[in-house]
Amino acid sequence: MSTKEQRDDFTRYKRDVKKEGKRFFPYAVFHDTVMSLFVVAVIIGLAALWFFTSGEEAGDAGILGPRYQSEADPAAIQFVPRPDWYFFFLFYLLRIFKWPESVILGTIGIPTIALILLMVVPFIDRRRERRLLRRPVAMVASVLVIASLGILTYKGATAKEGAAGAEDAIPEWIVDGNLVENAEVVLSTDPDAAALDADPGDAETLIEEGAELLVQAGCLNCHVYRNVGAQNLGAPDLTEEGSRERGLEWQIGHLKDPPAFSGGSLMPSFATLTDDQLLSLAVFLESSRGN
Amino acid sequence: MARSKSARQQQLEELALAPVEWLDERSGVVQGSKWFLFRKVPRDVSWAQTLGSATLTAFIVQLVTGVVLAMYYKPDPAAAYDSILAITNDLTWGWLARGMHRWGASVFIILLFFHMGRVFIYGAYKYPRELNWLVGVIILLLSLAEGFTGYLLPWDQTAYWATVVGININATAPIAGPFIADFLKGGAEIGGETLARFYSLHMLLIPGGLIALITLHMYLVTRLGVASPPWSKEAAGRERVEVETRKRGLVEPRRRKSVSRKDQT
Repeated sequence: MSTKEQRDDFTRYKRDVKKEGKRFFPYAVFHDTVMSLFVVAVIIGLAALWFFTSGEEAGDAGILGPRYQSEADPAAIQFVPRPDWYFFFLFYLLRIFKWPESVILGTIGIPTIALILLMVVPFIDRRRERRLLRRPVAMVASVLVIASLGILTYKGATAKEGAAGAEDAIPEWIVDGNLVENAEVVLSTDPDAAALDADPGDAETLIEEGAELLVQAGCLNCHVYRNVGAQNLGAPDLTEEGSRERGLEWQIGHLKDPPAFSGGSLMPSFATLTDDQLLSLAVFLESSRGN
Repeated sequence: MARSKSARQQQLEELALAPVEWLDERSGVVQGSKWFLFRKVPRDVSWAQTLGSATLTAFIVQLVTGVVLAMYYKPDPAAAYDSILAITNDLTWGWLARGMHRWGASVFIILLFFHMGRVFIYGAYKYPRELNWLVGVIILLLSLAEGFTGYLLPWDQTAYWATVVGININATAPIAGPFIADFLKGGAEIGGETLARFYSLHMLLIPGGLIALITLHMYLVTRLGVASPPWSKEAAGRERVEVETRKRGLVEPRRRKSVSRKDQT
């Protein structure tokens, strides 16, 4: 399609519109006004439905969800990372990448490529043809994009959150994973155990506390432990975390500042936990070595 | 007597129009409005092409309700949540302002996607409208940024932790990522500085950019014209053959002679 032909086409378009087009005002404006009134009515309808079916209490959800959750509290780490619905497709994209090293593909790689492709659409597709049935590549691409956005949004919306019943599974974890025995080994061999004021005799208490924290601090909203948990945002499975032998010092440092120890990590800082809590969580993780 | 009355009338008319003419002579605003309003569009333009103006309507709803909310909202971690409670539960019609702003955002994003889908299906991004497609993609990006920055403002648990993760996602970007994340946070932790930054971005910088880009977008639409549906038998800009007259409805003007596109290969 040469520039000359394109220009001729557009000249003809302008001539046709001038000769036989309809006036924007009032004909098109009529359509626009009806549509705009409909849009405003829908927005008011949604607002009313949201407000009148929900209650004043935080988290008291109606048909369209609650008015608000409880106040933001940086110290209350129990959280569910949940963006607004139109980011669900990005949010769910991150679950597809199960290895922490590949999470960057989901966070930056794929969205950036998609955005660049979207921007250059008119510069790639320079043909004159506008009918969709005669643009097979455009048709297939649009079906694929709509389908994948739809599926990812739906999956993000229905993704399970948190870890129901995890509390009850704790005794099983401790027995099946030999956690107390493992903890005794960790505490007697880890070079930093003495500095952290941890004694092999405390193994059982530390493991029990650590397991409780794993559930209560919201770790399982992203991580999986022995098949329990939500596997969000590319968070790794923690069942065999101890097998990597990173040591207690590393575990505590990582909990306080995840990106500093694990590049590209999306995990929030758990620095608001007390030193005792951090120690028990670190011992629990270091002792988790599968079966 | 009749003559003097008409002269007086003429004088009055001139007097009434004087400010308009003064303004037009110096700014061209009347000419510009006429150019925008009294133009012609292809005769087969219909409901599908209202998605753009519908998106604009949703944006205006966001502007108006946003201005109302800004009068009562307090961008300070100690007061933000309470001001949201007060707006929602105590302020007269406050629930409507916040509800419309909250749900209007979703409607706005949906309409943006529908509008973009319509332009794609119609192939309306092709010559000479490539630049306007590009402007539209930037509008979409800024709108998503509005969604991201606005989500923190209610300062509840969902808002806070979604933003923590969102900022961490920004930080994973190569090279610029950590700087963007540090800029957004405004400190070591997400707190008062972050809230103030998000508030400023959400209600000053990004909306300002959006207003400018939407104005440019509409200028380009007016300048280049709206594309006909590609399958239309009377699309503007294609070789045609004469066919017999069709009946016209209320919103399409009656014509003496209708035409059809020649079958093109």
